Amino acid sequence: MTFDAIGIAGSALSVNRKWLDAISDNIANVNTARRTDEAAFQARYLQVEAGEGTSGVYVKADLYGSAEGRLSYQPGHPLADENGMVRMPDIDMAEQMSALIIAQRAYAANAAVVDRARETYLAGLQIGRS
Amino acid sequence: MFDSVTFKALHSALDGLAARQRAVANNIANVNTPGYQAQRVSFEDALAESVRRGDGVVVARTQLSLEPTRQDGSNVNLDTETLSNIDTVLRYQFATQAMDGQFSSIRTALRWS
Repeated sequence: MTFDAIGIAGSALSVNRKWLDAISDNIANVNTARRTDEAAFQARYLQVEAGEGTSGVYVKADLYGSAEGRLSYQPGHPLADENGMVRMPDIDMAEQMSALIIAQRAYAANAAVVDRARETYLAGLQIGRS
Repeated sequence: MFDSVTFKALHSALDGLAARQRAVANNIANVNTPGYQAQRVSFEDALAESVRRGDGVVVARTQLSLEPTRQDGSNVNLDTETLSNIDTVLRYQFATQAMDGQFSSIRTALRWS
């Protein structure tokens, strides 16, 4: 179709929103402690792929980070084992923050594309008006 | 009247520009997709050649960009794509106005009685 540009940018808006959701979920759980006999909180990552031809972008799968996490010595913690250890998630805060900025910028770039696609569409409607 | 070179050429230009607008939107949508190769739409040279021959009909060609890729295998450049996006909007408005001018002359001719 001639005016698919809005839909293409729309698919990217939703992919970037899902990415932002995953990142904020990861950052929110950066200090979520678990028992040592449980799996740590696993950071969520999105695997994205380009659609066929010009059909935008879509999320192919959710991928998860290490379930092992890292052990932390916190003897006063209610979840600590007999050695005073708890399992913390293995989330790289710097990586999450830079991903957050990339996702946010990509979202803004695609929102601008929606605007310009709309401008093109409106120009098309002017044919035969004057 | 409606099959004049001007009409056909403007029609081809509008189709080509709309295809470019789709390709650019797709490139920007995939700015962070690993391994994605940018799409390039070309029709201007073929259109100029076709108009010279007195025809005016061309079909836009889509090719993959061969520019060097980033570390993640993608070669989308957000600044070039944004410029191309804006440029295409303006060219499209230009072409719609020219098309509008064509119709408006026909309407003037129809009114003359």
